[in-house]
Amino acid sequence: MAGICIVATALDGAVSRSSLELVGGGRALGASLGAGVAALLLGSGPGMPEATEALHQHGVSAVYRVTDPTLTAGQTDAWLIAVEQIVRAVGPEIVLISADTVGRELAPRLAHRLGAALVTECVEMATEGQEIIVKRQVYGGRALATLAVARRPLVLSVKPRALDAPEPAPTPGKVEDVAVTIDVTALPARVREIHREKSEVGLEDAPVVVAGGRGLGGPEGFKVIEELAAALGGAVGSSRPPADAGWVPISWQIGQTGKTVRPALYIAVGISGATQHTAGVSGSRTIVAINRDPEAPIFSLAHLGIVGDYREIVPLLTAKVKELKGG
Amino acid sequence: MAVVLTNEHRMIQTVVREFAARELLPIAADLDQHSRFPGEALAKAATLGLMGLMVPEAYGGAGMDTIANVIVQEELARACAGFQTIVTVNNSLVCEPILRYGTEDQKRRYLPDLAQGRRLGCYCLTEPTSGSDAMALRTTATQRGSEWIVSGTKIFVTNGVEADLCVVYARSEDAPGARGISAFLVEKAFPGVRVGKVEKKLGIKCSSTAELVFDGCRVPGGNLLGRRGEGGKIALAALDGGRIGIAAQALGIARACLEEVTAYVQQRQQFGRPIAEFQAVRWALADMATRLEAARLLTHRAAALRAAEQPCTKEAAMAKLAASETAMWAAHKAVQLFGGYGYIQDYPVERYFRDAKITEIYEGTSEIQRLVISRHLVDHH
Amino acid sequence: MDIIVCVKQVVDPELPLRDFAIDPVTRRQVREGRPLVISTYDENALEVALQIKDRSGAKVTVLTIGPQARVGDAIRLALAMGADDAVVIDESKSPDLLGADKARILAAAVRRIGRYDLVLCGCESADWVERAVAPLLAEMLGASCVTFVSRAETAGGTLVVRRTADDGFHELDVRLPAVLSVTSDDANRPRLPKVKDIVGAKRKPVQTWARADLAVESGSHEASGVEVREVVVPQRTAKCELLPGDPAEQVAALGQRLRDLKLL
Repeated sequence: MAGICIVATALDGAVSRSSLELVGGGRALGASLGAGVAALLLGSGPGMPEATEALHQHGVSAVYRVTDPTLTAGQTDAWLIAVEQIVRAVGPEIVLISADTVGRELAPRLAHRLGAALVTECVEMATEGQEIIVKRQVYGGRALATLAVARRPLVLSVKPRALDAPEPAPTPGKVEDVAVTIDVTALPARVREIHREKSEVGLEDAPVVVAGGRGLGGPEGFKVIEELAAALGGAVGSSRPPADAGWVPISWQIGQTGKTVRPALYIAVGISGATQHTAGVSGSRTIVAINRDPEAPIFSLAHLGIVGDYREIVPLLTAKVKELKGG
Repeated sequence: MAVVLTNEHRMIQTVVREFAARELLPIAADLDQHSRFPGEALAKAATLGLMGLMVPEAYGGAGMDTIANVIVQEELARACAGFQTIVTVNNSLVCEPILRYGTEDQKRRYLPDLAQGRRLGCYCLTEPTSGSDAMALRTTATQRGSEWIVSGTKIFVTNGVEADLCVVYARSEDAPGARGISAFLVEKAFPGVRVGKVEKKLGIKCSSTAELVFDGCRVPGGNLLGRRGEGGKIALAALDGGRIGIAAQALGIARACLEEVTAYVQQRQQFGRPIAEFQAVRWALADMATRLEAARLLTHRAAALRAAEQPCTKEAAMAKLAASETAMWAAHKAVQLFGGYGYIQDYPVERYFRDAKITEIYEGTSEIQRLVISRHLVDHH
Repeated sequence: MDIIVCVKQVVDPELPLRDFAIDPVTRRQVREGRPLVISTYDENALEVALQIKDRSGAKVTVLTIGPQARVGDAIRLALAMGADDAVVIDESKSPDLLGADKARILAAAVRRIGRYDLVLCGCESADWVERAVAPLLAEMLGASCVTFVSRAETAGGTLVVRRTADDGFHELDVRLPAVLSVTSDDANRPRLPKVKDIVGAKRKPVQTWARADLAVESGSHEASGVEVREVVVPQRTAKCELLPGDPAEQVAALGQRLRDLKLL
């Protein structure tokens, strides 16, 4: 069957948001190429029927389902075995994988095993005749590269949050349960333990994000950030340096090696915007930057800017927000 | 003599700049406000080899030349002048004299510890009645059997509180002036040494400045540095290197002023525009940058001469004079350009102003530097 | 233990924006006159290798691809930090090669080096950010693979690694030989080289091999089927509106604008 196959996951008992984003992207490509979209659905058990249903609801015709106790968080070697087996059997032209923790490890390895062309971390996909045209961020988010691929098969990993979740398009489809044999003791890399950080307002879902950077000078600097976020009803994030320095938990980190966010309002405080941070926020609707340095690259990304000392500006802003919201 | 920075010099500059950014910039204001000795950062600096930069590797040092030293000192002083004071005294006023005048035994006993941060050194020359007139010192050193008995009071000793090893200048001969002075290596552990008054200063507060009292201090004969009566010469030779280190300190402070002001004037808006657009402000920046560059060239030249073992007394004095007056002027200008904010401790320029002043005073006041320079012009040596 | 650390020299990613430019012919960043540094995460990879060396002994070899003339400083710094020797693959086209081609060259180089238990790379290069080299290299060498590793410790004949995840971290047991990509972490902050080691690094062995001398698996980036059409710096049509005045005025203006945008 020629066509497009997405790799969907159901960890935590539900189909993942990135899987649905892939469905959207896959459907768009499929429409141009005249190809259908199938899904590999992988998981260890809980939520598989609901996930299957969600995929059908969003326009996936065929779902190839693998339920195996080894298909748990972080167990890439097991995922690879399952995905390779099914992709070889199904034979799609294009495989879409979300570039999340496992996906980014899995996509290049799958491509190599299949002898497929590979483009990672795509943010946009389109077609031009039979060529697939993809865009990806380079140079820490400062530039956008356009690549063209004629060869098949093609494996594309897609940056989470780069694509929109699709509109529902209920499709009658088939489900095929596939058995795979995975000996967990034979896996070259095997998960011992998973540690999950608790977070209150999901950073990736928050409508407002206030983030702090190196310019805050230390963990105490984040206190005023948290106050502003609370006043705005939003979440707190950070660029890489505070996370690296241990001022904030790693899960607060936004950027290429952190989370991608697309809130309605993003406020960057003491963030230079010089490195990979901007790649994680450029989709935000309104970006406000507060920085002492007028030359900071963040000002070329932001819509509104205040050049000033955050220690003065942010408390005043928190007060103003409370005043405007209260009144 | 052209000064060419090698790839190595540039790599060292990058590494020390990174060290200063990680370890000094975040704590400099706090060190100054609490007059806190930066023990942890010093230990890290020692690991990198910054405490014995010009000590040969054979004695546990980094084996660098004077040019590398001024590069390092400028980077450290840019971040924290007080920290850099501690380091430069150890390097130029303690390690250097031992290296140049010490016996093999003295070098092996003290240089590795000093270079690797296990011992900290200090330099004891100034007394209550002899500052600029250094050679009029009154501390005595009397031979008794195989020992020397040293008695007197030294003041304004940098690292006086924390140092273990003191280079002490005392009158050992029955002759006035330089010819009567000998240099001694005195460990704080020797009987008869104690730390007296610890001074509260205008600036470079994280470095201690103390009175050291020698009361019948017993110094083993093997700790005479150089020959009897050579102490005056050793003290003055040490000051040549010391002055180059202080010039580098002043460069660092001046550069800190220039960098902070440049950022601030582009951000601060008055009368509807950044004050960087006003000509008076732009001219001040141009003057700061030019004077800094000129002072740096003088400093590097003095360092190059010293590295080539050529006479550099006049050049070292010129470098110290030019750099220290530039730092003081730049700091004064910086506070003015920051306006009211320049007077407030939330911003670093008031600290630069206070730190800069000492560079015009210690290791030979600007007046003494002028004396030294003019001697080379008018009198013929 | 034999560890190979792959490092790449890139234009300083912290370059001011005004110095950042794309060459429309090569479709890559203009490198002339720009300062070069070791790619950010490669330094973390080197630090992880050096920590293993400190704890349990290892030989650390730095491997890089690049025009010989340019990679000198990066290699020197890596050797000054504590690597034992270096191998440079002399390849003038290196800044333009994509990850798959790099991985093929690295695989051939690793095979020629011969002995290895562990190959470490940065999790992504600061310039092209594909995140593909380590996984591809692992496949080519038939080695275990874990990406975005923040810590790695030897435990008998295996390795225990920590992988950074979106929402925390995973701990894994990894069979050797392995290829790991490394991300930054408090525990792997790159050490600063000692001053005397910067000088001493001159004395450590550096071998240079021509690309043509390596048995590289076939496939240039054209043959791999991926063509770079263009690289553009997105022109912002809307310029950033800098709010004027003193802090109180700036904040008042911001409040008003946010209200206008219905964000408050």
